[in-house]
This record gives sequence, structure tokens and C-alpha cells, in this order.
Amino acid sequence: MIWYNDLNDGIIVSSRIRLARNIDKTPFPAALNSKDKEKVSKKLRASIFESNSTLSGDFELYDLDKLSRKEKISMLEEHLISPQMVDGSGHSVLVNKNKTMSIMFMEEDHIRLQVIMGGYCLDEAFDLADKVDDVIEESLTYAFDEKFGYLTACPTNAGTGLRASVMMHLPALTMTGNISRIIQSVSGMGIAVRGLYGEGTEAEGCMYQISNQITMGLTEKEIIEKVKAVVNKLSEMESQARKSLKENHSLELEDKVYRAYGILKYARSIASAEAKSLLSDVMLGQNMGIIKCDGKMTPIELMVKTAPSVIAAGKDLDPAARDKARAELIRENI
Amino acid sequence: MDLFSELFDMFDGFDMFSSPYVQKSAQKDNKVCPVCGRSWADFNKTGKFGCGECYKTFAAGAAQVLRQVHSSAEHAGKIPSKSSAGIKVKRRLEELRRQLKEAVAKEDYETAAKLHSEIKSIEGGVSL
Ligand SMILES: [Zn+2]
Repeated sequence: MIWYNDLNDGIIVSSRIRLARNIDKTPFPAALNSKDKEKVSKKLRASIFESNSTLSGDFELYDLDKLSRKEKISMLEEHLISPQMVDGSGHSVLVNKNKTMSIMFMEEDHIRLQVIMGGYCLDEAFDLADKVDDVIEESLTYAFDEKFGYLTACPTNAGTGLRASVMMHLPALTMTGNISRIIQSVSGMGIAVRGLYGEGTEAEGCMYQISNQITMGLTEKEIIEKVKAVVNKLSEMESQARKSLKENHSLELEDKVYRAYGILKYARSIASAEAKSLLSDVMLGQNMGIIKCDGKMTPIELMVKTAPSVIAAGKDLDPAARDKARAELIRENI
Repeated sequence: MDLFSELFDMFDGFDMFSSPYVQKSAQKDNKVCPVCGRSWADFNKTGKFGCGECYKTFAAGAAQVLRQVHSSAEHAGKIPSKSSAGIKVKRRLEELRRQLKEAVAKEDYETAAKLHSEIKSIEGGVSL
């Protein structure tokens, strides 16, 4: 099931595991010219996909150079490829049938194996990634050093090559102003808190991504436990903050949620930031049992599908046209 | 292990020296990576390595950078199965030797003797 359709308590949205891997004695993608890049890419696809019955049975191969921008954007919104793979060239990706797993070729590293699932399931996602990693390794030799571990283009990924991240919706902690203090206190623990699309993006719609920064000196399990400890703490604090909002500001909260729904249901033009913030309010209301939406899409799905690049989908829309298209999409589906 | 990395292991405890000064001196030769052709200067410009071999070519510099980023330059996680057998034995030996040292320090000679014979039996089994 694609991650944004599988929500539980609405605080923890999705879990993601990413392993960075490279092949031995071969320059990383950025150090290859386009001709050699093509050669390495072919070799990767041949040795992993064509010769491997376990993978070829369950995965489908997409050559991104042959896809339209619109198709690539939709893979980006599903988090199956990275933002830099939309514009670059020479990229391809293997995606499994239920879209929980993608194996990206020739991103910053030769191979980026990713598992993304709705809900809170880092261990399950890691076990799956670990197994597929073993299967891939049957067909090639990884760049690995006894002391430094898995070797990656950027030293921030070297060692385990593991990035474990959990996406959380934290509106109550954001409203009460506690979130910035929390972000500061966890950054000292080797844990990063970022916006929806990762590095450098803002936490619009009260969506935060919690992930490990340290990839070396700890085992994969230890890294995952560290991330989970922070996620559990945040989750507990968010529940607490929601409870106290309900107890002390029940009317204001209800009013906020219904006003948000009203605007989203009837607006004719809406900017991205406003849409995200209102969708976040509705999502909170839904999770707290204040409002029931029976539209075709969930608030989180609408949040993903109304991001500026997704709305434009490769067309040359000016901001006013985008705001109009966004309002239409929300009106019809909320 | 070359002289440079040994020196930097010594300095590892002095965090106040992990400034650009140390990073610069960690890798001052003009070596070029035999696989990707990049130099240490290229790494300093981009912050990215050109290939896996760079980590070996610029081992002292890489170790220094990794310590700054992760507070460690020693991989503790998964080992690919192709290179696993030898490395796993080596890791086990390191762990046993560490325990042996601890046991001796605590004057727990019974445990120490057990660990000692386990180490001997592993060392007898593989050529390292
Ligand atoms: Zn190199």
C-alpha cells in the first residue's frame, strides 16, 4: 500500500529506510562522463535486474530518460525517486508492485535502496531492505572497506549507508510553540529534524522528518533504536499537547478545524503554504475525532498532490494559475 | 596503517584541534586516486569522493573527516557476505581481546583463562 493511504493515529505518518551502496573499483556517478555513466548504468541493470529472478519477478524497471516530466513528478510525490532525479539524466529506478520499495540507480551513489511504508515500522522496513541488499549483492561486488564500511560519495553516508527516517505530523507541538526547543535539543543527539521533502525544506503543514545523521560507529540496529527513541518521545509529547488543547481550548480548536475545512471546501484560489497549513488543521481535527471528511482523498494525500511542482506537473503554469488549479483539486477531493 | 593515520589516531582525543588546521594537514601530498583520478584538493572543493578507492588513497584525510562528521571512523555495522568470513573472525577476536583485558584488569583470572583459550582456538583455525 502506498505510504500516504495507510495512516494510524495520524501522528506518525510514514517510515523510511534508505541504504546507499556503490560498486567496487568504479567511479561514483558524479565522477563519470555521460557515456561512461550510461555504461555503468547498463551494467547495473543487467547484473541486478536481468540476471536476478528474485528481483525481476517483483520489480518493474523505469528508465527516467524515457519518462515525461509529469510521470517523474508523480514518482517524486510518491517518494519513489529523489528531487535530483527529476531533472538529471542517466537515472533509472526499479519499483516493486506495491510501491513500498525502490532501487534508484546513478543518483549520488550507484545504488540507493529505499523502503517506505505508512505508519510506524522502521524495523520491518529495515529487515526488508536488508534482505534485498543481500539479493543485490549476489550479482555484484560492493565498494566496502573493513574499517570504513560501505563507501559512499558523501562521507555523511559512509559506514552503514543507512538513513532511517520517520515522518511525523506535529501540529499541537507546533501550535504551542514547543517544537523549536525540541528540534534544538535533539540535534545534539545526532538526530535531524527536517521538513517534508528532506534536507533544506521547511516543515510546512506541521510535517517533520526525523532521521539519523550519524551513519558510522554504530550498528544498523543501534541507529534505528536512536531514531525510535526520539520518535517515541515526540509522539508522547504531541499526544500530551493534543490532550491539553482539547481540555483547555476545545472551542477554539473546533473553530479552527471547521474554518480550515470551510476555506478548503470553497476557496477559488489558494497558495501552497496556506493550503498546507489548513490541510494540517483538518488532519488534526480528523485524528482527534472533531471532523469527518468523506472526500476522495485524505488531507495528507492532498498535501502531497498540491505541492507547487506537483500541481505544475511540468506545465508552464504561473503562480496564479497554480493557485487556481490547487483550489480546484482540493474542492473536488476533500 | 600508515604513519599519518597512526598520528591522527593519537590526536583523536584532542577535539579542540579538529579544526581546519588538522584537516588540511591530514592529507598534504599530491596523490591522485588511481580509479577516478581525483585529488584531495578535489574532495575539499566538493565534499564528495570520486570513488570507493578514494577512501584508501586518502585514508588519513578520510578518517579525519569521518571522525568530524560521525565522531567515529570505525564501521560497526553490516558486512557484505562476500567479504564477511575473514572480517567477522577478526571482529570476534578484537572483542574477545577487549574482554580479556577487562577480565585481567578485574583480576578475574578464571574468565581470562577461558577467553584466552577461545582466542587461541580461533587463531589456530584461520590464517590472518
Ligand atoms: Zn577515487
